[in-house]
Order: sequence, then structure tokens, then C-alpha cells
Amino acid sequence: MKIIYTDVLIIGGGLAGLRVATGVKQRGHDAVILTLVPPKRSHSAAAQGGMQASLANSKMGEGDNEDIHFSDTIKGSDWGADQEVARMFVHVAPKAIRELSAWGVPWSRVQKGERTAIINAQKVKITENENAHGLITARDFGGTKKWRTCYTSDGTGHSMLYAMDNKAHQDKIEIHERLEAMSLIVDEGRCYGAIARNLMTGELVAYVAKATTMATGGYGRIYSVSTNAIICQGTGQALALETGIATLGNMEAIQFHPTAIVPVGILTTEGCRGDGGLLLDKDGYRFMPDYEPEKKELASRDVVSRRMTEHIRKGKGVKSRYGDHLWLDITILGRAHIEKNLREVKEICENFLGIDPAVDWIPVRPTQHYSMGGIRTKYTGESQTLKGLYSCGEAACWDLHGFNRLGGNSVSETVVAGMLVGEYISDFCDSHESSIHIHSSKIEMALKKEKDKLETLLTNTKGEDAYVLRRRMEEIMMDKVGIFRNGKDLQDAVDELEQLYKRSKNIEVFRSKSRAANPALVNAYRTQKMLKVALTVAYGALLRTESRGAHSREDYPERDDANWLKRTITSWSNEGQSLPTVSYEEIDITSMELPPGFRGYGKDLTKHHQDTPKRVEKVEAITKKLEAEGANRFEIQNALMPFLDKLPKKYRNKNERLGENI
Amino acid sequence: MSEIEKGRILKINVLRFDPNDPSNLPHMQTFEIEEAYGMTLYIVLNMIREHHDNSLMFDFVCRAGICGSCSMLVNGRPTLACRTLTSKLGQNITLAPLPLFKLIKDLSIYTGEWMRGLNERLETWIHDKEQELHIDKLEERMEPALADEIYELDRCIECGCCVAGCGTIQMRPNFVGAVGLNKIARYHLDPRDKRGDEDYYELIGDEDGVFGCMTLLGCEDVCPKDLPLQSKIAYLRRMMVKTALNN
Amino acid sequence: MKKTIDKIPARLDFLQSVTGLILAVFIMGHILFEASILISNEMMYKVTLMFEGYYFFGERYPGIISFLAAAIFVIFILHAGIAMRKFPASYKQYKIMKEHSTRMKHEDTSLWMIQVITGFMMFFIGSVHLYIMMTQPENIGPFASSSRVVDEFMGPLYFMLLLAVVSHAFIGLYRLALKWGFMEGKNTERSRKIFKLLMKTMIAVYIIIGLASLAKYTYIGITHDFSDGVKYQSQTIKFEEHK
Repeated sequence: MKIIYTDVLIIGGGLAGLRVATGVKQRGHDAVILTLVPPKRSHSAAAQGGMQASLANSKMGEGDNEDIHFSDTIKGSDWGADQEVARMFVHVAPKAIRELSAWGVPWSRVQKGERTAIINAQKVKITENENAHGLITARDFGGTKKWRTCYTSDGTGHSMLYAMDNKAHQDKIEIHERLEAMSLIVDEGRCYGAIARNLMTGELVAYVAKATTMATGGYGRIYSVSTNAIICQGTGQALALETGIATLGNMEAIQFHPTAIVPVGILTTEGCRGDGGLLLDKDGYRFMPDYEPEKKELASRDVVSRRMTEHIRKGKGVKSRYGDHLWLDITILGRAHIEKNLREVKEICENFLGIDPAVDWIPVRPTQHYSMGGIRTKYTGESQTLKGLYSCGEAACWDLHGFNRLGGNSVSETVVAGMLVGEYISDFCDSHESSIHIHSSKIEMALKKEKDKLETLLTNTKGEDAYVLRRRMEEIMMDKVGIFRNGKDLQDAVDELEQLYKRSKNIEVFRSKSRAANPALVNAYRTQKMLKVALTVAYGALLRTESRGAHSREDYPERDDANWLKRTITSWSNEGQSLPTVSYEEIDITSMELPPGFRGYGKDLTKHHQDTPKRVEKVEAITKKLEAEGANRFEIQNALMPFLDKLPKKYRNKNERLGENI
Repeated sequence: MSEIEKGRILKINVLRFDPNDPSNLPHMQTFEIEEAYGMTLYIVLNMIREHHDNSLMFDFVCRAGICGSCSMLVNGRPTLACRTLTSKLGQNITLAPLPLFKLIKDLSIYTGEWMRGLNERLETWIHDKEQELHIDKLEERMEPALADEIYELDRCIECGCCVAGCGTIQMRPNFVGAVGLNKIARYHLDPRDKRGDEDYYELIGDEDGVFGCMTLLGCEDVCPKDLPLQSKIAYLRRMMVKTALNN
Repeated sequence: MKKTIDKIPARLDFLQSVTGLILAVFIMGHILFEASILISNEMMYKVTLMFEGYYFFGERYPGIISFLAAAIFVIFILHAGIAMRKFPASYKQYKIMKEHSTRMKHEDTSLWMIQVITGFMMFFIGSVHLYIMMTQPENIGPFASSSRVVDEFMGPLYFMLLLAVVSHAFIGLYRLALKWGFMEGKNTERSRKIFKLLMKTMIAVYIIIGLASLAKYTYIGITHDFSDGVKYQSQTIKFEEHK
């Protein structure tokens, strides 16, 4: 039996996981990262467009600050987000970007003087300030008031990930590659690490740790077409679920990105539209201004995706053998801009579509892109119910994004959450309560349980074909738990997924019987896990009888704060059950800095909560009073919703900007 | 998008070997797949696994040409399989794992270990004497053109194609290869890295470094990211000779 | 503060390139001068006289050629010695390289294989040629050289040497340009294409010239009556015999 002891076990080697590792290592704790693939291959690398942080260096970002970033994020979330978490996030984002800059990310910089940009299909002259020259610049992204998305060409995630991984090398962090966590070791309500399987040799290893961090990313691959990397299968969420103690939050909140190419579903960045690209229908007509006259192509992602789907349903889509699609036109940006700032997009167009985006329109349609839901945690990243289990990044729901995430907030979140959670974990490891009290026989049992499961899969006879179950699951999710949802389809989906889940208990790995590297075996056990995750998504969506953010019910088109301003909490306490247990967590309006309001898209159909008007009144009163007293924005904010004391001390300082806090 | 027509029957020859199985020897196995419009090797290999042989091992992650996982020899040349359209290949397609890297099984190779070794050897991170970061303060300024230039070299995805395409490193596995030299060029360009020319000379100023390069340019010709390897290696060579002459 | 670094690898690399460059330039001249035979015997004779210093000193000093040959020989040995580092060091390495080259079907890699093979050939035939030139400098001339080609059976050797040296030199020059970034410009793909075309053209041109000269020497060697010895009697330049 192989047991590896460490202080902090981190499952997942993307941006969030790497940043946690660096953080705890700096605080003097040992860390081991388990990762399916070399960290530099993680899905973080695919984040092309950028990272939001209110640096306010570029002309179009002038006047930006934490407050505006905060309000954009909350509105974007359709008031589903945890406002304290959002505050902490916007406060630390500028620090994160500056830290990454020192660690080597070649952020694109402000060039002083005049330049031409395309805004709303018009050429516009922008004059960048002399004193901003050489500072980090930003581009426009959907759903934001200011240009706030910092970038390195369109390889932002790639550059960040490489800088982070190199930093991990510098810090001599142990990274165990091609290891897959199979289950969490839990004893007496406390998580003590994980049982992992070496994907090259098949060896099972127990990792025992004071704190275990899930940084495993999203679960997009439960859909048949997704922009996600193929390793984003939600196994991290499933692992948490399978403890029976940890809970998941808002699993039904799934984002569809407006512009993935057809048919393969590879993403073209929001930067395409941010930089001035347009959406056109089969007649070459620019339809977005008809639906969203103000923000047009740059409305929030969920909104644009829905409008596109509506437009296709009106028969305005372009017919193709792979279904209807629309066009993304970036030809107006000019070749030079595309080859410099949208290079990855150009490569993707050339290699997968055989077109030149400087000349041709790109076939696009909304495609599954992001999982707002995940392992439900406190603001510290610790599971609300399972001590010693932490989670951050897309894997978690601490809840920064609510029911819709803003473009550029995801890579930003990975690093910020990594910084914060790394500190909280270190605090935990420094305390006495972190010491490990688990008998080795329990670890042995956990190992044996996993071994037996694998043996069953390999030796089963007359069983089910995992591929068949999985493909059916993907289809159901795509067809019935998509952009627009309705009660009947969701009920069908839940029913059939439940059947698939039951069948998945009898999966047989045909022919390929190796105990070592064996892709068929991997697919078998992952399919079992994915089905659980799919059920939490479909079931949560069925029960939520309102429309909020990316969760859009045709039979309940209004946002219903009166009944549904709450988080969906899912658990799977009994291995025998075939549906998850769902409960709800109220979102408290009375402590909100930004009480629920209208997002500003389409018609306002919101059914408001009774607490909302009271809170609005109170916020206005406090603000007015303090403004009259000459208080600054920090003092007003602090009076409305204090958050600084929750932050680790080292991240509490004010952020310097040109013209502020210098 | 063109109309549906009967596709070619592709003959996919895969070099198979399972080092974990003592009774297994390297051998070629042929699969027949009907070609479809817009088909890539990613689709082909998944079809084989799902419908012909579920034990076939290969690596894909992003399947969009971004992550560098799926490099393999396609008809003898290293390239990213995910973005290789079958329409650009003949009817007979031969697939083999990249040489030099540790073989896991079939087309799956262990690049991570190799790359990490390289990164540690060349210390591919920012060397800054200052320990304290001032993350609350305005970031250090950088010329926009320089930032772009650094990014240009930062685009390497560590796929290993340049390593597999390099005759020199095949013969002499200690050679850093284009991937390593490109990284040195990248950090040398970066003003945030305070290493001097002599420091870089110590890393690559020998026959395992830039002077080992025989300018076969396999790297330049197979790099899926079109990195300016030829030009940067030439630059490093000049710089390193200058450093030695001035020292 | 300057660190002490081992400068030898840099020097060796630089020296390999410099010696290669000198040899390549030398060969370019050598083959052209030697091709003077194609114009006339007289022309070739005059070129020989030039190298013997006749036009500078008014007298012939074959020792100059001896000296030149010796200098080239030294550079040749130096170049061979340094460049040998790049040769496959064992059969295993050779096999790996050969397989790699066959698999890749990559032109520049194949060109390198040619350089290794031609370089290896020249260890022997190049040395023989240089040694003869060094020891018998007086035996150069329209008839003397022709006699060497035919009667002393140097023809086949020169033929092989020609092919080897021309391809080795121009591939080497091509590689040299790319190796050091000589005139690479902004678009290296384009400059490389041009260099490559230039290399191939020069190889073709020089091999044609060289073969033609060799044919002429062979022709002379077969048809000329050597009963008077191999000395050439110029129509225009007469020497007084000092014996």
C-alpha cells in the first residue's frame, strides 16, 4: 500500500490549483498537486480573451474602480452571487494581475497617442494618455461598463498558466502528473485527502493531507457539444458529492458562450466582439441591435446566447448539415488587428474551418461554455459541510458568478481565489485543528474500496457499454437542459438520466482489460461520475421554476426573487439513492450592498422580494448621508457591507491607480 | 458547407505498443474509417476507440490546437493531431508516438516529465533579486512593442514537435532543443528577468546548448505555433559568441 | 562582476564557421580558375603563372602554391577536426539519425546527411589532393594537370572530389547563413527560400563547370603527345632558362 503524506493536497493543476500551491508553499506548508495532465495543458490555457481587473489604465477604462467592477459582476450574476465574495474578488483582482505581471505574464500594454478602434461598427479614434504609456491595457468585454479586460493578445490564459506553472517549478512544488483522484478519504466528518489512480501504471495511491483542495474545473463535458477541454468532466464535483457530506451549489447554472465555431464547438473569444466584431444572420443582417439596442453584441453572455437562439428559431439561421448557425464577422477589424490581437482565432479558423477570418465570416452558435455551479464553499473556499475539503476556481461555487458569469471574470477568479484560499488553507494548517487523526486501517479500506470498484468494472459480464450511456447522457443534456428550458423536457431529462444512472451501476469494460493504462476503464468510471453530475444539473433546473441569468425557463420567464432568490444546494448522502437531495440556501437581501434590481436587458419581468424595497431605501439613505458628510467611496462601501476584515491581512491594502491612492 | 457525399475509406495505420504488458511487442494495426466532412484526426481516433478498439490510447485535452497534448508523428512528421484535417492527407495515414519521450501506451507519451526537467534545467522563470512584490502599487511599465515581442515567444505550447523534428536531439538527448532555446530567448528579452548574458551563457553556452544546434531546422518547419525558432536560435548564437569574446 | 565562463565552446563554434567560410570561398575561386582550361590552354597557363607570382615578381615561384596548399591544408584539418564533433559518434547515433531522416523526409535534415557523407569522403580524397599540390606545385599546367588526370589515374578521384566539395561547400554556406542569421530579414521563410535556391543553383553551376573542366583535362590527357614531357610551351611568354 502506497501512502503519501503532505500538508495540502491539491487536485487539479490549472491556474487555481497552481496558485493555491504557490500560496501555501510560501506560508511554509508542503503541497502536492495531482493532475490528469501536465499543468500547462490544463483548460486554463484556453482562456483566450482576458482577465478582468479594474486597473483603469486605458482611455476607455478611465474612472474604473472596484465599485464598478463589483456592480457589473452582481448585475451579471442576476443577483445570484454572494456579494461579499464579489467584493473580495474585485478588490484583489488588480493585485492578482500585478503579481502575475511580476511573475512574467507579458500583458499587452497601453501605447500612448492616437489609435483607431471599432466601436459599434464605426471607426473611432481613441487617444491614450501619455502617463498611462507602458501600463497594462484592457479591451472591451460583454456586460461591463468600462473596458476592463486585460489581455496578452488572445493567449491570456496560456500566458498566465505558463507563468504560474513556471513559478511552481521555481518554488519546487511537487506535481504528480497523470494521476486521477478516484475518491476522497473521509473520516468522522473530515476530509483527509484522496485515493488516486496513476493513469500510466494503474497503481492506486493514498494521499493523506491536512487539507484537500478541489481545483478540478467545470463539468461542461456532460454536454455533447462544449467549448471545454475534454477533461472538464465534472469528476471533481462528483468526488465531493460522493462523500455524502460535501454539497454542490447552483449546478443548474450553465453558461452558453455565444460564439463557438460550428460544428466542433471550439471557442472564438469574446474579444472578437469586444474588439468590434458583429453577429449577422443568414441575410448578412446585424440583428443584435433589434433585441438589445443599448449593449448590442456586447450584452451579457447569457443574453446574447438567448437572442441568437431566438433569432435562429425565427428561421434566420444559416442552414448547414450540422444544424443552423449564425455568422460572426470580424473582417471589419482588418487583417493587421486580427493577426496581432486575435491570432488564436485566426489559427482556429484556418485549421478547423479552412477559412480566413480577415476575409470570411465565421460560422458560430451558442455552445456550452462555463459551469457557474460547483462545490459549495464558504468565502474561505472550505466546504460548508465537510471540514478539510476546500475548492476554488470553476470547480467551486463560493459564489462569485451567481447565475451568469461575466466574460473575463473566470481566469481572474481562478487566480484571485487561489490567492485567497491559499491563505485560508494556510491558516487552517497553522492551527491545531488541522492535525491528522485517521487510522491507517481506514485509509486501507478506502483504497480497497476503489480497487474493488475497478475490479468489478473489469470483470463484470453482460454489463452496459459506458460509451452508449455517456453519449445518451450528452444528448439529453444538449437537447433538454440547454439554453431554453421547460418543465416537460426537464422532467423527461431527469427521468431518463435516472434510468441511465441506474444502468451505469452495471457497466462492463469490454475487451480492454488492462489494469494499467486503459482508456476504456477510465471512461467507464468517469461515466458513472458524470451521470451523477448531470442529474444534479437537470434536477436542479427542473425544480427552479423561474428564469435567472443563464437558467432560462420558457414556462417561467420571469425572475422570481420572491420565491427563488436562493441557491440550489445538492447532495448525495446515500449511495442507494438515484436522484440527488436538493435543498435551498436563502440569499439575504438585507445585507446586500447592491439590492436586487433590473439588469437592463429586454423587458423587466422580475417578481421582487418583499425585502428589496426596504434594502434599496436603506442603501440610498446611508449613501446620501455619508456623501453629505463628505465620506469617500471606501467609507460608504464599508458602511453598506463591510468585507475587508474577511480578507487575509496582506491583501487588504487599497489599490493604486493613475489618479487614485497614489 | 458542401453537400453530403460518400467519403473515402481511410486506412489508419497505428503503431501500437503497451510497455506495461510484457507479452506485447510494437506492431502496426490498421483501422478503416469512412471519412466525413471536416474530419480531424481527433475525430478519427475517437471513432476508432469508440467503435473499433477501446484500448487504443492517445492524448487529447483542448482538441483546439492550444494545449499541445496531442502531438504525434503523422506520416512521419510531428504535428498536432487535433487540428490535422484528414482531407489534407492521403488515404493511407500512419500514426506513431513522438520519439524520445517516454512512451505510456500506443500514441500516448509522457511529455510532462521531460518538459519539467527542461524548465528546471534552464530555470525558466523570472529571476528577480527583489523578494518583496508590491502588488498594491502601479505595475512596472513596459514598452508595448516589447510586451508583444515577449508574447510572441511565450506562445510555445511545449508540444514536443520541435524535439521530435530535431535530428540533433535524437542523436544527443542532452541537447536542449528548440523548445529550450526559445525559452531562453524569451527570458533574455524580458527586462523583468535580471539574469545577465553570462548567466545565460552558463545555461546554454556549450554543446548541449546553442552550440549543439546544427541548424537542421526541423524545429522551424514543424512548429505548430510558427515560432521564429530559426531566427531566435541564430540570435542566441551571435549573442553567446559575443558574450564569450567580451568576457 | 563578470563570471568566468568556459569560452571554448563558443570559440569552437565560431571557428568551425569561419574555417568553413574560408574553405568555401577558396573552392569557389579554385574551381573557376581551374576552369580557365575551358577558354584555352594558354589561359590556364597564365592563371598558373599568376599563382606562382610571375606577374608580381617577374619570376615563377611554385613554392607559393606549396605554401597556399599548406595553408589550406591546415584550415582544412582544423575545420575537419572541429566539425567532426557534429558527426554521429557511434553506429547507434548514425542509425538514429538515418531513421529520423528517412521518416521525416525533411530536406534540410537530408542535406545535413549529405554534408556528413561528403565531409567524411573528403577526409581522404581532399587530403590526397592537397598533399600532392603541396609536394608537387610545379606540376600544374595545361599538360601537367591533364597528365595527372589521365596517366596518374587522378580523374576518378577528382570527379568524386568535385561532387563532394561543391555540395559540401554550398550546403555549408547555406547553413552558415541561417545559423548566424545572415541577411535573414523580417521574413525568414522568404530569405531561407532564396538562400536555398541560390545554394542549389550554385551547386548545379559549379558541378557543370567542374565537370566540363575535368572533361577538357581528360581530353587533353588522352589526345596530347607527352613524349616531350608535361611542360607547357607558351606562345606568348618565353622564359630564359637559368640552368
